[in-house]
Amino acid sequence: MKRVFQLIIICFITTLAEDAFAQVYKTEKGKAEFLSKAPLNEFVGTSSNLNGLIDVDKNLVDFFIDLNTLKTGISLRDKHMRENYLETKKYPFSEFTGKFKTLPKFDQKNHDEVFVVGVFKIHGVEKQVEIPASVQKTSSNELAFESKFVIKLSDYKIAIPKVVFYELAEEQEVTISGVLKK
Amino acid sequence: MSIRILLLILFFTQPVAAQLERKLAVEDGDVDLIFHAPRHINLLTVEPMAKKDLHFAIMHTFGTLDGGIRNLYGLDNGANIQFSFEYGISEKFSLGVARSGLDKFYNLYGRYHLVAQRNDDRIPVSISLMGGAGVNTSDYSFLPAGNPEFKDRTSYAAQLMIARKFSDRLSLQISPSMAYFVNPLEVYQIQGDQQLFLAVGISSKYKITGKSSLTFQYIPNLNSDLRNNIGLGIDIEAGGHVFQMYFVTSPALNEQYLLAGGNGVPGEEFRIGFNVNRIFATGKR
Repeated sequence: MKRVFQLIIICFITTLAEDAFAQVYKTEKGKAEFLSKAPLNEFVGTSSNLNGLIDVDKNLVDFFIDLNTLKTGISLRDKHMRENYLETKKYPFSEFTGKFKTLPKFDQKNHDEVFVVGVFKIHGVEKQVEIPASVQKTSSNELAFESKFVIKLSDYKIAIPKVVFYELAEEQEVTISGVLKK
Repeated sequence: MSIRILLLILFFTQPVAAQLERKLAVEDGDVDLIFHAPRHINLLTVEPMAKKDLHFAIMHTFGTLDGGIRNLYGLDNGANIQFSFEYGISEKFSLGVARSGLDKFYNLYGRYHLVAQRNDDRIPVSISLMGGAGVNTSDYSFLPAGNPEFKDRTSYAAQLMIARKFSDRLSLQISPSMAYFVNPLEVYQIQGDQQLFLAVGISSKYKITGKSSLTFQYIPNLNSDLRNNIGLGIDIEAGGHVFQMYFVTSPALNEQYLLAGGNGVPGEEFRIGFNVNRIFATGKR
């Protein structure tokens, strides 16, 4: 009986210890931006509601964003984007879950240029991707990140009608950035 | 035995590679896009504009269809054209100015959004008010009495708009409306001769694809024997523009003239109509 209690206590302590020493960095206020560069129209959509998590020990990189928070500066365009293109009622989130291809050094002086591999999901379509990213440990409990990549709308079954071709780019340049805190 | 289970539970509740919980930033906001644009055939809608947005609409109605192909179904008869600019003063209130070719009519109007339909149905409908004041600037110096005074050229409009998006496909708006002409002279291009016109505007939208809808409007008159306005068409949303093509019984494009008659027989006296809506952002947010 005594040994059982000891085991329980060990379990508790290790649980607490993992919480205390775990290298888990999170944010709920990361920035996300997309740039649509079409022949007749160029516009940017932004959100500062990017949620992110980097767990260094488990090598887990997990990000998601509520697409309803994207703003392009014209409310009617936002509404059309939500209803007709992203279909946010059905698919409210864009997500990425994956890991570092090679674990960054987290050197406080330099930022690491790395690749993350995993599954990117938007509009209900999942795709295996490899995305370049830059991370830097800016203090003992802060991790800054930035990443730029291109999303091809047709890869995610977001159709552009022919009449809109000159107004909406097929390839959207996405930039995400922010500071993750322990 | 139960202690082993407890140990197992403890073991499995140790932190594992845990993803973030996906949660919405804002739960249950206002319903989006009851209609495609602030205009729907010839009537205004409850569709609000953001602060500092500028809505530009150019609307046309051509001649009647009964001239056939010889008149290119009314296109040869020339068009009544209305330009309008509406500016979002706040999220709730917008102010617009419109000019239609018929009687060279200038109209100043505003829309105020009282409540908006919510996704959680706590508010089941959107309700907006519209008010307008206009002036006919045609030259009537050929009349024996000479040009009417400014006051006699003015007219006013008011509408209460109640709309609901019933499903992703179907939206409906009921707009009890009035138009008041200070002095409805015979020479004005309106059919009725009374001062006050009352009617109910009914607008509906039925979505057929992601970006287009069938549209319908019916404006039964309440205090005159004039023929009622009927319109039907299609809205196409195309990357920032909303194109609206329709058949309608009246050439009138402003809220006052729309209620003052002049409707043809539905069918052969339909007119082709065409609106382009565009919203611009002004200023930096």
